[in-house]
Order: sequence, then structure tokens, then C-alpha cells
Amino acid sequence: MDENKKKILEMLAENKISADEAYQLLSALETKGSTSEGTSKSQTTAKMKSKYLRVHMVSASEHEDRHKSDHVNVRVPMALIHAGMKFTSLLPPEARDKVTGALHEKGIDFDMRNLKPEDMDEFLEALSELEVDVVNNDGDTVKVYVE
Amino acid sequence: MKCPPMLLHLKIRGKRRGFSLWLPIFLLLPLALAIFIVAAPLILIAIPIFWPSGWRKRALHIFGAVFEIVCSLRGIKVDMQSDHDYMYISAV
Repeated sequence: MDENKKKILEMLAENKISADEAYQLLSALETKGSTSEGTSKSQTTAKMKSKYLRVHMVSASEHEDRHKSDHVNVRVPMALIHAGMKFTSLLPPEARDKVTGALHEKGIDFDMRNLKPEDMDEFLEALSELEVDVVNNDGDTVKVYVE
Repeated sequence: MKCPPMLLHLKIRGKRRGFSLWLPIFLLLPLALAIFIVAAPLILIAIPIFWPSGWRKRALHIFGAVFEIVCSLRGIKVDMQSDHDYMYISAV
């Protein structure tokens, strides 16, 4: 039984609250429970919906045909990112140390040894809200987003 | 159930010439199965040899991870254009 519900029933048994008050408290608890359940469901649905990471770069160079202007358009399935991140956990420790060292040399302070499966899920969940939109002075655009 | 991409669409165009290809990856699946059947006796011999070294677990994990990566390739799309050069890769 839920701890809160148990407390309410105990208070009712000890005559600290009336039956009506207990009923109201229990109803409030149930409403709260269903709301949080609904929120987590919608979050899961949102997570499931984001299927691709899109990287879209367009050069501002003028061209008669817009589709023939310089561009890069990449669509990466989120499942591939997930699988790739899982793959890193299979790297031998020596290789991980080398990667961490190489990243450190480039000024990226990231230790691959700290990468855990639960962190990956959290990272991917956060990634679903990512949106980068950059436009430089020449009009070149870079867009990174998850759809 | 996850399954690997069935077709790979490849389009490359230069200044003068280009080509477009639909590669039927699904035709490689029977080939992979045939290779697996041929290699099965070797795998059966290798298992007891490598069992004590702990490589069995790692090999299984690597095999699973590679299969997952291949399956996840479905839906990938790369489309690049630079001056007169164009490249398009898509896995369906």
C-alpha cells in the first residue's frame, strides 16, 4: 500500500481526521498520481517520437537552382547513436585511455571511463530537446535538431 | 524486431558524369548465412579454446553490438552538394 494512503487511513483510525477529509485526501492523492503518470507517459512518447538527428548546412552562395547550392544534409537515426554509444562500452580499457588522452590533447575534458549505460539514456533524452541554429554574416546556415 | 537495411541507395555525380545505384543488401543476407554455416565448425572448435580466457563473453557482446549498429543504419541519409559534385547515400 502507498505510504501516504496508509498515513491517511491511520489518521482516520485515530480520529484525527473525519471520513470526508480522508476521502478528499485520498482523491487528491489519486489525482496527483495519475497526473504524474500521464506526464511520464507523454515524456516517454516524446522520447520515442524523436527518431533522427538532423544536421543541415546550407551555403549562402547564389545559385539558379536552390537545390544545387552547396549543402550538407545528414539524417542520423537516434538508434544508431544509441548503438554507437553502447559500442564504446566494449572498448578495451587501453583503447579508452588512448581516446581519453587524445580528447584531452584537443582540449576536451571528457573521460570515456565514466560513460555508463544509464548516462547514455539520459544523454539521448536530453538530445531530443537539442536545437542549434547558426547563421553567419554571409548567410550560411547550420541547423542541428532532433525530429 | 530489428532488421538490417534492405536497400542502399547511392548517388554520385561529378562535373561531367555520375551514377545512381540501388544496392540490394538483402541479397547479402543468404550469403552471410552461408558463411556462418561454413564457419560454424570453426566457431565450435574456438569456443572451448577461448572459454577460460573470458573472450567468449566479449566476443558475444561485440557480435551483438555490431549487429545492432548494422540494424540501426536503416533510415540514415547523407546528402552533400559542393559546386558540381553531389553525393547521396540512403539506407532503406
